[in-house]
Amino acid sequence: MSASQSAVRSRAEAVKVSRMFDWFILWAIFFVVLGGYHIHYMLTGGDWDFWSDWKDRRLWVTVAPIVAMTFPAAVQACLWWRYRLPFGAVVCVLGLLLGEWINRYLNFWGWTYFPVNFVFPSIFMPSAIVLDVVLMMTGSMTATAVLGGMAWGLLFYPSNWAVIGPLHVPVEYNGMMMTLADLQGYHYVRTGTPEYIRMVEKGTLRTFGKDVAPVSAFFSAFVSILIYFLWHFFGRWFSSTDFVKSA
Amino acid sequence: MKLIKNNKVVKLSFVALLITVAAAMFYTPTASAHGEKSQAAFMRMRTIHWFDLNWSKEVVPVNDTMTISGKFFVFSGWPETVDKPEVSFLNIGIPGPVFIRAGSWIGGQAVPRSVSLELGETYDFKVLLKARRPGDWHVHTMLNVQGGGPIIGPGKWVTITGSMSDFVNNITTLTGETINLETYNLENTYFWHAFWYAIGLAWLFYWARKPMFIPRSIAVEAGKADSLITATDKKVAMGFMVGAVVLVAVSYANTEEQFPVTTPLQAGLLRGIKSIQMPAPTVSVKVEDATYRVPGRAMQMTVTITNNGDSSIRLGEFQTAGVRFMDSAVAQDDTGYPDDLLAEDGLTVSDNSPLAPGQTRTVNITASDAAWEVYRLADLIYDPDSRFAGLLFFWDESGNRQMTTIDAPLIPTFI
Repeated sequence: MSASQSAVRSRAEAVKVSRMFDWFILWAIFFVVLGGYHIHYMLTGGDWDFWSDWKDRRLWVTVAPIVAMTFPAAVQACLWWRYRLPFGAVVCVLGLLLGEWINRYLNFWGWTYFPVNFVFPSIFMPSAIVLDVVLMMTGSMTATAVLGGMAWGLLFYPSNWAVIGPLHVPVEYNGMMMTLADLQGYHYVRTGTPEYIRMVEKGTLRTFGKDVAPVSAFFSAFVSILIYFLWHFFGRWFSSTDFVKSA
Repeated sequence: MKLIKNNKVVKLSFVALLITVAAAMFYTPTASAHGEKSQAAFMRMRTIHWFDLNWSKEVVPVNDTMTISGKFFVFSGWPETVDKPEVSFLNIGIPGPVFIRAGSWIGGQAVPRSVSLELGETYDFKVLLKARRPGDWHVHTMLNVQGGGPIIGPGKWVTITGSMSDFVNNITTLTGETINLETYNLENTYFWHAFWYAIGLAWLFYWARKPMFIPRSIAVEAGKADSLITATDKKVAMGFMVGAVVLVAVSYANTEEQFPVTTPLQAGLLRGIKSIQMPAPTVSVKVEDATYRVPGRAMQMTVTITNNGDSSIRLGEFQTAGVRFMDSAVAQDDTGYPDDLLAEDGLTVSDNSPLAPGQTRTVNITASDAAWEVYRLADLIYDPDSRFAGLLFFWDESGNRQMTTIDAPLIPTFI
């Protein structure tokens, strides 16, 4: 076979090869995103995602969606503008969660014996589905950034409440009141993570009484919109084929 | 490469080397130490002085408890290069949660949060530990200081026996429910993560069941991008989006209904921690000079001691960085202090006869033991602030003990 001849000899064979190629690419995207997104999120979200006693109504709600908005925006840009495939955010979150669960189960539990109910990751799937669907329905980066980015931030806390709510039940312990999550952090000794490192309930957002989470979520959603724009452009730039043409 | 290919002995040696290197991966001993020997010597000598320590047990069955108690002196000559302990946390140095910290107190106050400590004050403390994971563990006292890092104290080996599967951590909440914190909420966590993961996979496979990259790319390049999203796709997508939002709302409402009483995470700094009112020392000590003789692993100092009390006194112990140099003729340890940190006859005083009230005497003190090297205290000479510090303990005729501190430059001698 010369270089000018086709590798396939019939339409059926071409379809078969194309599908095989689909699965290879999807597999590669999944694991590349898993690695990259996981590292990025662990470096920027880190302890807020590692420990239940960091998952507060103020800073976790603010930080986690903002730093997690990055890869979904970029991968969406590539998959949508080049292929009209609206699963960029979901494939990112699927990869991230698989990586996180492997890490939490094998490292946190398997090696160091922190109970899984203390080190579970955050849930982003509802936010990711909405982000993908908004992009698909509107076909607009701006609309996705504004509507999808807003939903990304606002849905985060309620999506996770089913898991973290039970850990916010109060308990009296040695004459002090704390939540079960606080107690987990106190009981399960982290020699390298003293209590003062824990960034929870800090700040001056005190005029909303106990209803801090919605305010934090709105702020997070607003910044997520800005991050979406930035990373969407990164995604477009990375998926450009200009360099191939010039070669 | 040619040599490896052609020479049988070289080839076999190379294979043996590879096997050895590969086999080394299977040797994964437990990491038991906490880097206490690597911490800069001046940090250990001039920050927190732990004393009167007691580990209540050396063997603890799973679910049983033990305590570490004692006192720590927040050194007055705290080094400039370390932030002051205005935000500190009484921690415990163990390899992960092999124990759970069932309680910790400073000056009788529970301290699950960070505390503010004062220089020059002495505090008593207690940490209650409940055994969780079987094994031999090095259990250290520890104080974390914001801006200073972990300041690790003496450690002792403690053995936990039994099986971790028997461990329970029962807690009664303020809503009256008794739960096992070890497994509480675990199934719920797994369920929601699996549930949302399955929905995410369903969305992905809805699109993956159709041709993806090559045909769609061709269509987009050909300007037919709009034909790639069908009316059915839009209906399905809306179903996913509305379904996701509704499911979030329902799960939130259900959780609120099931757990109507929840509170925010608790945080904050505890101030006003009570220190011990130590009796004012009647002995004054002035360090005239101090040298560390590198070949002899011994620290020598010339000090002038004045007894201002009404009973004669003798020097019985010099303690620094958790290492106790004792004169067994004056004082002996009966607390089971870790052997590697105890030099029972490591303290030599040129004239340690009782110093009568009102008298002043200049003596040479030598603190010598392999611990200087083993605990890398000799590395003090490489620190940015080559001063040493420690506690001196004197005993009077009635057996009463009093503590004084010393803090002075240290000159190394290499010959």
